[in-house]
Order: sequence, then structure tokens, then C-alpha cells
Amino acid sequence: MYLVQLLSAGIATGSIYALIAIGIVLIYKCSGVVNFAQGAYAMFGAYVTYALSKLGLPAVVAVLVSVVTMAALGVATEKFVLRPMLRAPVVAVMMATLGILIFAKAICLAIWGPDQIAFPKIFPEGSIEVGGIFMTYNYVAAGILSAILCAAFLGFYQFTSLGLMQRCAANNSKAALAIGIHVSNQISIAWGMSAALAGLGGTLLATLNGLSLGLETIGLVAFPVIVLGGLTSLGGAFIAGILLGVLEALTDGLLTPALEEFLRAYTNIYSIGALQQVVPYALLVLMLLVRPQGIFGQRGTERI
Amino acid sequence: MRGRDVLIVILVALICAAGSFALSRFMAFLVYSVAIAAIGALALNLLIGYCGQISFSQGALLGVGAYAAGNLGNAGFDIFAVLGGGIAAAAISALIGLPAMRLRGLYFAIATLAAQAILEYLFKTVEPITKGISGLTISPLTLFGVRIGSDQAYASIAIIVLLLTWLFLSWLIRTNLGRAFLVVRESELVAKGMGINVGRTKMWAFVISGFIVGIAGALIGFTSRLANPEAFALHLSIDYIAMIIVGGLGSWIGSLIGAAFVVLLPEAIERLGEGLHMADLVFAMREMAFGLLIIVFLIFEPRGLAALGRSLVQRFTRPSKVGEKLAT
Repeated sequence: MYLVQLLSAGIATGSIYALIAIGIVLIYKCSGVVNFAQGAYAMFGAYVTYALSKLGLPAVVAVLVSVVTMAALGVATEKFVLRPMLRAPVVAVMMATLGILIFAKAICLAIWGPDQIAFPKIFPEGSIEVGGIFMTYNYVAAGILSAILCAAFLGFYQFTSLGLMQRCAANNSKAALAIGIHVSNQISIAWGMSAALAGLGGTLLATLNGLSLGLETIGLVAFPVIVLGGLTSLGGAFIAGILLGVLEALTDGLLTPALEEFLRAYTNIYSIGALQQVVPYALLVLMLLVRPQGIFGQRGTERI
Repeated sequence: MRGRDVLIVILVALICAAGSFALSRFMAFLVYSVAIAAIGALALNLLIGYCGQISFSQGALLGVGAYAAGNLGNAGFDIFAVLGGGIAAAAISALIGLPAMRLRGLYFAIATLAAQAILEYLFKTVEPITKGISGLTISPLTLFGVRIGSDQAYASIAIIVLLLTWLFLSWLIRTNLGRAFLVVRESELVAKGMGINVGRTKMWAFVISGFIVGIAGALIGFTSRLANPEAFALHLSIDYIAMIIVGGLGSWIGSLIGAAFVVLLPEAIERLGEGLHMADLVFAMREMAFGLLIIVFLIFEPRGLAALGRSLVQRFTRPSKVGEKLAT
């Protein structure tokens, strides 16, 4: 029973990871940029939702406005920061997105301060019981909502004409230009969508864990997810997100207590700290060594 | 560097090292902070700017150097504690470099991000060596039995180490190995075609860079007298990457300028904000300026401050191109 409880909590957080990771993959596919600022959009989105609902807006409206704001910010980032750096080396572009992260974090610190803030109730309080498992509405709603959003986004990417244009631009930008797709607009759209997804993910995460500047670390947690799923696969990011969420929950709930008990019995080590925070990274290194393209990614070919 | 430049650099450094004894404590603190950061930035520039291997584990490697040197120094190993810090960091750096045998560019950068996270976790948990979250207190460095206590002495030691590092690296880049670094940076395929053992070349870059970073870490440990996990977190890696980007990738003088810039900027803003009595806001302003400057630099002067300075000097010292042609 405890196991099922852990699994369902893992799936709930995992689908939020997936939501954030999908945004990073989307940008990488489209423009070849690895976006470290994803965590910044998540954090900023959550803070904007908080500020709006404090002004008296109903929760749903606040979330929607915040998501739209994040989308606008994403487009602005692409237009004003990334576009002038088209020919810059990879490390410079990575560093620019890190600069955005530092800047956004500093702005949130200046406006809302460093303390943890109680996040407004978006979902009703209380919990439900299914077959002996208790889950708060927060977890259920956040998990289901983000899973649905991920699925909806994947469907959008696969079946609509805008999704088709996105895939064209990502697949071969020259060919896309030749058939009349405005590739740089598509890149802007990709940034907007991914920032919106991140803002939503950040808001959902804040409903679970409360609101603080620590929320930006979600952008880094997403990296094991996308490497595991394959940098180029949206579906892979979704599956890997849930996988890692479950793995973290299991490490926290089962592996850590078991290991600590073992160590206490045979050595004088008392605690092994937050093991669940490093397990994803250990898995990432292993994955990179065994199968660098991830579970679902394609192996890149290189032109000489 | 030509012979004459080498002499000038040695002379300037010796004068600075001797002159640092005349500084106030605060000035000495600034001098050794910049010098130690510059040593670390030179090493990172070797790895990223000259060999093309993006690394996010600089902060953790500095930590390895600090912890190793701190433990050795506390155990009474004298000056060898600093070397021990270098060797420990070189070993860990080689370990981090192992995936680079198979991975390239972006994927490798993500692997170093993972290494940073794993090392941070180890700093917190391997309590016998690191003393956990509370941190390891480090007794002052002893140099052949003489206890080094004053900030001025640390400033002059840091300047001398910086000088040695600089001379070593600018010699290294002129050797066959150094040339191989540059080819690997430009294209691994071309390097293979020229008969360069790419894996071994990268490994040398990791070991050499790691050793120097470890020495910088050891100096950080001995000057701050405390090594705790938070001091060596990811943001330190980002600071160092910012240094070499702001200064200029693949430029030794750039590393020095970048280090000075990144270390002194927060100090300057803190000074300006001292009258405000709002610590959080000043910290936020500092971070904001830092983030904004990184972005602005990358957009408008991606070659860094060193290149900017060079073009300015050229503009003022060589007014006409005709003269330049006649001279050659």
C-alpha cells in the first residue's frame, strides 16, 4: 500500500517534470539551444500567479494571465537575446540563458524577498481515498492536469498544422524556408510555448511545495529528464519525466531509509542526506555512457 | 609571449608581490581574491577556451582542492597540502573527463553538470572528510614551518602562483600538446585525421586544468579558513564561466581581466549600497547587474573585454593604416 502511495506521488511530480522538460526539448529541437532559463520561467510564472491572486483575481484567471505573460516573455527572450547571438558558440548561448536565469532570480528576490511564501489555494483542500491510499487534492489535481497538458501538447505537435510547421522548422530549416515556412517565427513560437509550459509547471509545483526562490532548480532537474528521454524526443521527455518522478519518490521513501538502517547497523554513519537529489544525476551519467542519445532519441549524424 | 613580455610580466608580478605587503588588510583581501579567481579562470580557459570542453564542475573542483588541502594542512603537511589539493582535484577532474572520451559538446556539458551535483552531495555527506554542512575549519597555511597569518602574505603568495600559472600555460599552449588542444577545439575529426589521439589530448587538458583548479581551491581554503558545501555550489561554476566569457574565451589576459571584473563588481555594488541598510535588495541588485552584464557582453562583445581593449588600443596607437603598411 505504501508502495502504491509512493508511486502515485512520484507520478504526480514526475508529470510536472515532464511539463518543464518538454519545453526544453521543444526549444532544442527548433533552434539547437539548450535553455537553462526554463527554471526562471517556472519560478517567475509561479510568482506572477501569486501576485495576481493577491490582487484579488480568481485563481483560474491569475494562472491564465501568468501563463500568457510567460509566453510573451519567452518570445521576447528569443527576439532580444537569442536572435542577436545566432552565430555565437554553444557555450556563449548556454551562458546567455544562464544570465537570464540569474537576472530573473534577482528580480524575484528584489520584489518578493527571499522567504518561503504560502501559495494561494488553487485547488480545494482535503484529500481523497482510493483503495486505502490517501492523496491530497493538490497532488491529484496537479498530477492529472500536467499529464493531460503534456498529452494535449504532444497531440498538438503531432496533429495540427502549426505543429506540422514546428516539426518542419525543427527537422530541416532550409527545406522549411523553401516551402514557405517562416522559420524564425516558428522559433519564436517555440520559445513562447515552452515558456508558457514552464510557467504553468512552476505554478503547479508551487501548489505542492510552496513558493520560494528554490523553484528555479526545477530547470536543472529537467536535464536528467531530457537526457534520459533523448534530447530530441518530446514523448521521451514525457515518459522519462514520470520515470524520474517515480524513481525520486522511491529513493526518498524506500531506498534511503533502508540504506540508512543498514549503515547505522554496520558503521557509525548516521545519515546519507538527500539521496533522491543525486539519483537522477547518477542515472544521467550512466545513460550518457551507455546510450548517449537517450532512450527515445535519434543518433545524430555528422557531416564532414 | 615573447622574451621581453615574459620579463615584463615577471617584473610586474614581483613588484606587486612585494608591494602587497604595504597594502591595507581590505586591499590585500581584494588582491588575493582577484588573483586566486584569476588562477581558476586561467585553468578553466584552458579547458573551455583552448580545448573546447565546456565544464560546469569548476565550483566542485575548487571544493575538492579546498577540502583536500584543508585536511592535509590540518594534518601538518606544510606546503605539500597545496600540492595535495592540486593532485586530488586533478584526479577528480580526470574522472569527470572520462565521459568526454565518448561524449561531445552539449552532452558532455550536461555530464559535468551531473558531476557538480554529485560532488556537492558528497561534500554534504562524506562527514569524516568534509565535516558535513557545518564545514571544515582549516588552520592557516605553514610555509616550511613558518605560519602564514597575514592577508598581505597571502596576497603575495597568490600573485606568485598566478604568475607561475600564467607562464606555464602560455608555454604549454606553444608545445605540441597545446597545439593539439587547439585542433581538438576546432574539429575532433580534423584532429583525428592529423593523427592526434583525441581522447588522450582531452585527458591531458582535464588533468592539467584540474591540477591548477585544485591549487586555486587550496588557496581559497587557506584564505577563507573554512570549506563548506554551499561555497562550492553550482553558482561558483557559473561565476567562473562568466569570468572567461566576459574576459574573452581563449585569451590569458582576458581571464585575468574577467576575474577582476567578476570579483570586484559585487564588491563595488556592495560599497555603493552600504548606506541603504537593505541587505536583500543590495544582493538582488548585485545579481541583477551580474546577469544583465553577462547577457549584454554576449550580445555586443562576444570576444570579451580583452578583445575590446585590444581594438581600443589599436585605434589610439595606430592612427593610419598607411603607417602600419610602411612599417611591415
